[in-house]
Amino acid sequence: MPGGGPYAAFEHSVLLAEQVRERTETLQQTLAALNRAKAEAEAANLSKTRFLAAVSHDLLQPLNAARLFASALEGQALPGESRRLVTSIGRSLKDVEALIGSLVDISRLEAGVLRPDVSAFPAEELLGVLAEEYRQLATSRGLELRYVPTRAMIESDLSLLARVVRNFLGNAIRYTARGRILLGCRRRPDGLEIQVGDTGPGIAPEQQRAIFEEFRRLGGEGAGDDRGLGLGLAIVDRIGGMLGHPLSLASHPGRGSLFSVRVPYGRSSGPREAPVPEPAALPLEGARIWVVDNDADIRDGMAALLGGWGCRVLTAAAPAELAASEVSGAEVSGADVPGADVPGADVPGADALLVDYHLGEGEADGLAVADRLRTRFPGLPVVVITANHAAELKARVRQAGYEYLLKPVKPLRLRLMLTALLEAQRGRCSAR
Amino acid sequence: MSAPDAALDPLLDASTHAAGPMRAAVSRLADAEDAVAELDRALRHPGLGFVLFFCSADYSLSALSRAFTHTFGEVPVVGCTTAGEITPRGYERGCIVALGLDAAAFSVSCALVDDLDRFDLPEAQQLVEGLIDDCRGRPPDPSEGVERRFALTLLDGLSSREEQVLATLEAALGRIPSFGGSAGDDNRLAHTHVYAGGRFHDRAAVVVMVATRLPFEVFTTHHLRPLDHKLVVTRADSETRRVLELNALPAAEEYARLVGVPVAALDAATFARHPLAVRIAEAHYVRSVQRVNADGSLSFYCAVETGIVLTAMQSAPLLEQLEAVFAGLVERLGEPTLIIGCDCFLRRLELEGRDQLEAASRLLGHYGVIGFNTYGEQHHGMHLNQTFTGVAIGSALPRGD
Repeated sequence: MPGGGPYAAFEHSVLLAEQVRERTETLQQTLAALNRAKAEAEAANLSKTRFLAAVSHDLLQPLNAARLFASALEGQALPGESRRLVTSIGRSLKDVEALIGSLVDISRLEAGVLRPDVSAFPAEELLGVLAEEYRQLATSRGLELRYVPTRAMIESDLSLLARVVRNFLGNAIRYTARGRILLGCRRRPDGLEIQVGDTGPGIAPEQQRAIFEEFRRLGGEGAGDDRGLGLGLAIVDRIGGMLGHPLSLASHPGRGSLFSVRVPYGRSSGPREAPVPEPAALPLEGARIWVVDNDADIRDGMAALLGGWGCRVLTAAAPAELAASEVSGAEVSGADVPGADVPGADVPGADALLVDYHLGEGEADGLAVADRLRTRFPGLPVVVITANHAAELKARVRQAGYEYLLKPVKPLRLRLMLTALLEAQRGRCSAR
Repeated sequence: MSAPDAALDPLLDASTHAAGPMRAAVSRLADAEDAVAELDRALRHPGLGFVLFFCSADYSLSALSRAFTHTFGEVPVVGCTTAGEITPRGYERGCIVALGLDAAAFSVSCALVDDLDRFDLPEAQQLVEGLIDDCRGRPPDPSEGVERRFALTLLDGLSSREEQVLATLEAALGRIPSFGGSAGDDNRLAHTHVYAGGRFHDRAAVVVMVATRLPFEVFTTHHLRPLDHKLVVTRADSETRRVLELNALPAAEEYARLVGVPVAALDAATFARHPLAVRIAEAHYVRSVQRVNADGSLSFYCAVETGIVLTAMQSAPLLEQLEAVFAGLVERLGEPTLIIGCDCFLRRLELEGRDQLEAASRLLGHYGVIGFNTYGEQHHGMHLNQTFTGVAIGSALPRGD
């Protein structure tokens, strides 16, 4: 112990205690400052995420209308040059939609609102479809896509996993100037490794980590026509992390890259449902469709699009009007739209209802409107359209027995859905 | 054991503080065996895990030892003699006050240092490690939540070894907060004792390690403020804590001149009213005078050294200051709270001199203080004088547990 006797020992203790007190105080202050800084950073990040989500949402609304207009325009007889321009507009809008989709995805992943929906399914179910889809794209670029089928069962979120593999395939095609793309699997002890290989330029070792960060894009040939934000692999990385699927990358500059994702094996759960056959594009001619949306542009766009398919469209702006008039007396904004037929007051319902989920502040939501109409017209097929990606809403819609369509509405998708709904409806009717 | 005023009175005054895992009891019976039997009746319950007591030096210590050993058997008992007890009724004398800790809420281990002169760091480390191991090995189940520890030290108050022992012990305790008091003997300055392992010891120390999930806070406080007058210690015998000269004059003479009384009139009450303190790193630490020696030197209750500067101190209102400290503790720890207090006997003398003893007793009783009047207090390895030092324990588990 400190020499120098009792008083020195006392002094030593005092100074020690003083030091401890000072250090504790400094530590507490530092901790408090750290906590404050962390809270601020988290708040800033959260507000950024919210901002991104809000902006994306607001962008989707007019984009949705623009897509509908463009699509309706494409359906009309146009002179050659105009047709080419309309097609270009459509493609540009599609790109914008994809970009906004990426932003929405990354913000949802960051905010932690995306919840995986994991089930067991044969890998072939996913990979076979993707191989077919991307083979065409690859061929158009002069590339060969080889696919080795597999019989493995895996356990994952099908649509999220599809995002991952799509991204791998898209990148491989985008960055490979000549040669081959390979889509295949390897059985590993702890899971099925889905691999996408290419004969592209490869990635230097020092860049192999960086490409998984946001807004990172590598230069190189083939990248010129890409309009991406460099979010693709960042999204893939987050999805991989969320699903617990490890990603890996092996690459030799000049020889090519091999991206892979390892997915746990799934157990077969009895006979699976036979795949639903693609609905034949039956004419929607004469089908009576109700459209409820508070946005006039969307109503007009929908009326134009549906009218173009031969539907008879009735649009209404607000559920209040519908409620007051019991539909039949609703504000009929479809009257001035070509091809839209206006049902009279005695028309007994419709063949399908398209309703926007968000019908403005203070109004009932689309689900409530649909419920009300269903009560009056049992069995009325309903499609709820929304820009809200929340899984909870999707579940509610499904639970109510309605279809669910995300904005921006893709015309082909809508057409297929309506066709399927009407066919099912007719099937029920004829079975009676 | 039948006089009404000496009847069993463990909880009546302190019922609000005695509920739960901490029970306080007091016996005013003069016979050691009777007194311990009375404590036993008040404290005894199946969960009793530890007994801490403070007793008047008037008791027959050998009889007390026998009674404690006989009565409590396996339950560890630790304590010391005092210069006055603090019971649920406040300041008392000539009695035994005891505290029973429930094993479900407190895990307690204790050790005796029986040779204060040879207590070195290796021994201190071994002792602390043993205490921690012993403490950890008992219920409450540590997996149930974070338990925290504090150490309580009871030292022979006339050993003059407190500083070195505490500095050594503190080095071994590290981050574990510690506090304690030096045993007293009703101001006779003859024999002070600590009790552990079934008997009383002098020139010894008891170290108690307490682990609990209940909230607690170790604290020290005093009510003294510096004046302008300074005295330089020009000659001292540090081993015997004696100051021979102040300002190059005989110490007693110079001190008496400072406080304005004849040397012959210097007594404990004067020392209580006119404390001296050393200043280290912005803070003042009181050095209390113990007595005037025949050779005109002054003996102190704590370490002194040639060359130190003593600052004259004056009292601020003691009770208001103490109440503010207690209120702060209750605010942080929640009510009801039990406080184990080591209260310098000079503070009690000052209160007696100011006729404030009853008010002080009410305050101590109100905040559930159990403790004793010391010949010195210990806080984080420092040997202090004229302070109130202790631990306050809340009765509610922290939220989220």
